[in-house]
Amino acid sequence: MNQTSNANKQEPTARQEAAVLPPVDVVEDATGITLFADLPGVPKEKLSLRVEADTLTIEGEVGLVTPEGLQASHAEVQVPRYRRVFSLSKELDPEKISAEMNHGVLKLRIPKAEHAQPRKIQIRVS
Amino acid sequence: MRMDEVRQGFISLWDSVAEGWQRLRESAAGALTRFRASEKSNLPARAEVDDEYYLPSQGWSMLGGDVFEDDRRLVVRLEVPGMRKQDFEIEVLDDVLVVRGEKRFERESTEGRWRVLQCAYGSFLRTVPLPAAVRSDKAGASYKDGVLKIELPKAESGKAKRVTLKVG
Repeated sequence: MNQTSNANKQEPTARQEAAVLPPVDVVEDATGITLFADLPGVPKEKLSLRVEADTLTIEGEVGLVTPEGLQASHAEVQVPRYRRVFSLSKELDPEKISAEMNHGVLKLRIPKAEHAQPRKIQIRVS
Repeated sequence: MRMDEVRQGFISLWDSVAEGWQRLRESAAGALTRFRASEKSNLPARAEVDDEYYLPSQGWSMLGGDVFEDDRRLVVRLEVPGMRKQDFEIEVLDDVLVVRGEKRFERESTEGRWRVLQCAYGSFLRTVPLPAAVRSDKAGASYKDGVLKIELPKAESGKAKRVTLKVG
């Protein structure tokens, strides 16, 4: 009988911490896409963007700490992390991603690769 | 980003949101906040958005709130990303804090298609019951990283006004 011992082996590092999926807006135009994600409470320095192969991972840690000496009498937000993973299509150029944070909203611009950009061909009449 | 894949993912948005928020559900029932969009909100029309679940007139969003306290003060925090400071309206009514706001849809680019629109825009209202009487004249508010923070010094008595009613 075949033992499936390997399947039962759990990688402790593979277990990810609980994270909230942030809502996003995505707009696509001729030269690329722009993604907006709501990440309230995440300061710029606790935001991490990773591109591996064609996968983009957005991860943000909530930078809020309980004010010193204060007791929580009501707390709704207890998951201190956001995470969302996207797969990027080949026409996008992950090398040229630019990001900015503004009032808890992340804005990512991912341009299309040169070859996928619309091209204007000049025709000269001689 | 492959759009059809993204779309696939978003069709099951509510499933995944529910999954991600599962741990919050019990403590965060009050966080689900309705957003009502008006012409002021400046949202794209239905025809400009691919998301079949998109309805310009309404949206829901989780606005997480916390209340902290010590002997002297209450601190209320509310997560409302993407606001302008001047679009908040904050009121203290006896032992309830009322936060109103208008979240505008401000995107510089008018060309292109909206593939996904999940963030909520429009006007919202949140009421937060305060566990102690406060001096609203000494209250202060700040807004940072999309989190609104309101500090309310406690009134001398330190206790909320209470009226006991008898069932007659």
